[in-house]
Amino acid sequence: MNKSLKKKLESDFDSSVEILEKNGWTITANKNQVLDILRFLKGEGFDYLALISCVDWIEKGEFELIYILSSYLADKEKMHLILKTRIPRKKPDFETTIHIFENAEPYERELHELFGVNFNGHPRLEPLFLDRNYKTPPFRKDFDTRKYVEETFGSIKSVEGKK
Amino acid sequence: MTERELEMYFGPQHMGMVGNFGITLTVKGDRILKAKANPGYLHRGFEKLMELRTWTQNSPLVCRVNVMEPHSMEMVYSMAVEKLAGIKVPMRAKYIRTLTLELSRLASHLFGCWAYANMLGFDTVAQWAMYHRDLILDLFEDFTGGRVYPIYIWPGGVRRDLPDGFKEKALNVLHEIRSKISDYDATFFNNKLFYDRAKGIGKISQEEAKNLGGTGQILRGNGVESDIRKIEPYAAYDKIDFEIPTREGGDAYSRVWIIRDEMIQSVHIAMKCLEQMPEGSVYNKVPNPFKWKIPKGETYVRVESSRGELGLYMVSNGGDKPYRVHFRTPSYPHGLTILEKILVGENIADVGNIMISLYVTPPEIDR
Repeated sequence: MNKSLKKKLESDFDSSVEILEKNGWTITANKNQVLDILRFLKGEGFDYLALISCVDWIEKGEFELIYILSSYLADKEKMHLILKTRIPRKKPDFETTIHIFENAEPYERELHELFGVNFNGHPRLEPLFLDRNYKTPPFRKDFDTRKYVEETFGSIKSVEGKK
Repeated sequence: MTERELEMYFGPQHMGMVGNFGITLTVKGDRILKAKANPGYLHRGFEKLMELRTWTQNSPLVCRVNVMEPHSMEMVYSMAVEKLAGIKVPMRAKYIRTLTLELSRLASHLFGCWAYANMLGFDTVAQWAMYHRDLILDLFEDFTGGRVYPIYIWPGGVRRDLPDGFKEKALNVLHEIRSKISDYDATFFNNKLFYDRAKGIGKISQEEAKNLGGTGQILRGNGVESDIRKIEPYAAYDKIDFEIPTREGGDAYSRVWIIRDEMIQSVHIAMKCLEQMPEGSVYNKVPNPFKWKIPKGETYVRVESSRGELGLYMVSNGGDKPYRVHFRTPSYPHGLTILEKILVGENIADVGNIMISLYVTPPEIDR
């Protein structure tokens, strides 16, 4: 089963499959084909989306989107897949995957808030955790946490009155 | 009198609420028409903070993500570091880790019982649960030094060996808890009041639970035998025989019963660990923490926390700090998507009931 799945992924979707260990595969895909691959994998029994994550590769000017899939079924459940793709950092737009996996909704909302990735077609890309407005989304690598804290809260006098 | 639609804020400070977490409810009379989860009160930005600290400095940080069960958090972080750096763990440390994780699950479930019983007004049961949790915290203090945040499971093993006479002490506590399960049953789990309040409340079908990313009790309360301890065994779980309790129904009643059944299994696993534990060293040396660099790579590891699948996606770019950390916490889908869905059509009085039966912990959602 697994060999044919690997073959299919490599020939039909021209993605590269790297088998790092017995129970975890890494698939690197072209960004135009991610939705097709997700649909295909869901049909193959990988019906559980565990996580959507994002990594900011600032030196290459790219965001990497990560989809981690696993299965509720008995025969494929011993494996999880990491599907990843890169999108340009300057124009971080991507398609939403809510119509494939319903639970993608809060993950995409979170990535929109923390990384500024736009998911087209998402019904509510409103803030999830944060209260304030940030010029740079705070989980990007060029967001300086310390500087932000000093600028925002630094003018508040300490309780003891000394500074 | 005509009923009109109202918008009301449930939480972040509310009696029927665990932790700081808000829900905006649109209600008509006392029926809920729409629910909107409103997290963020406990957002501390742990994932960003961890990018700024070395591999060793992260150990005391990571347990603070979830107050209810810090051990699973430490475990998942240690597993990710070990996988990326290729560190082996000695057998004795694996057993001690399993023991710690099961005691932690027991403590967390007892805390859950406290919250649930308290919310339904079973004050006696709640106090018992708190007392029994305290016995386990005493054990933690004994062998880790910390009652709540142990900082015990480290990359490479555990921080130190069990103290002398620990086995007898632990067995005493485990026997004490197991012998009181019948009391819990008589006063709470077999009580008609519990049945009346929980049966049919917060119902979710198996298919819906799967679509919405449910794990843990949500699936097991729906008849799915799903447990990472069996699927991808970690620590010493592949060497110990145990059962996965499941139940049909998919409502608050079956989810809370699963918690009770899991406590019995946890006691069983912890006892087996103490019995089978081999001798040997408890940690493998890791490099100098100031110079420790981990080769480039990425990994996704997962454990079965007391609430469901707890995963960690971690990337290293070859440096002395993690490049990216992302926790996949079980409460995230449970408290955001599933909660919003199953609250619709329920009573205002059952919001806390449903939320605790889903076993949602807000610090896990916000991180």
